[in-house]
Amino acid sequence: MALPLGLLASTFATVFLAELGDKTQLAIVTISGTSSRPGAVFAGSATALVLASLVGAAAGGSLSSLIPTNLLQLAAAVGFLLIGMQLIIRSLANAGTPPE
Amino acid sequence: MSDQQESVNTDNAGEVSAAAAGWGAVFVTTATTVFLAELGDKTQLAALLLSAQSGQPLVVFAGASLALICSSLVGVVLGRWLARLLAPELLERLAGILMVVLGLWLGRQAILTLPNFS
Repeated sequence: MALPLGLLASTFATVFLAELGDKTQLAIVTISGTSSRPGAVFAGSATALVLASLVGAAAGGSLSSLIPTNLLQLAAAVGFLLIGMQLIIRSLANAGTPPE
Repeated sequence: MSDQQESVNTDNAGEVSAAAAGWGAVFVTTATTVFLAELGDKTQLAALLLSAQSGQPLVVFAGASLALICSSLVGVVLGRWLARLLAPELLERLAGILMVVLGLWLGRQAILTLPNFS
């Protein structure tokens, strides 16, 4: 069986374009820019993204009836808020101390 | 404020506690945030549509995974590039504001799509 490169490429293009500028990618930019461990950020985000799409593909169209995706998104929203407020507080605290 | 920083590791000048966090902590934080945010998102919808039409879910999954890995690599590189351009305090403040805005927007979406609210 020939490798279905066309389907592979079309899936890649669709998902990659859909992800560009997405909230997830913005979050990755944020975490990467403010953390000194880009390797861990890359490994964590790549694992989570592949896992999430695996769950989505395995569950098929019935995902929303299996998992309360709204509640998961709400939890993610709280996580975003917490990280954001932590960064703002940290930047304000650092601005008070004189640089080297 | 200084009395609250006793528990925070401030011995490295310029290094703040979260920046000095361990590899595992950064991995878990990133993975949890991204996983929760991404479940039930448009990426999955696209993947599901393609797999339903093609009947080759493994190929679709491989393509989607490669794209997601590449997109997170782009995000990480972009973040490191910004970190070189901007002062840490400025970047942290901008990033914090961005995360709060994203959190509010994501929370609003999640609440609006709750069954009780429609």
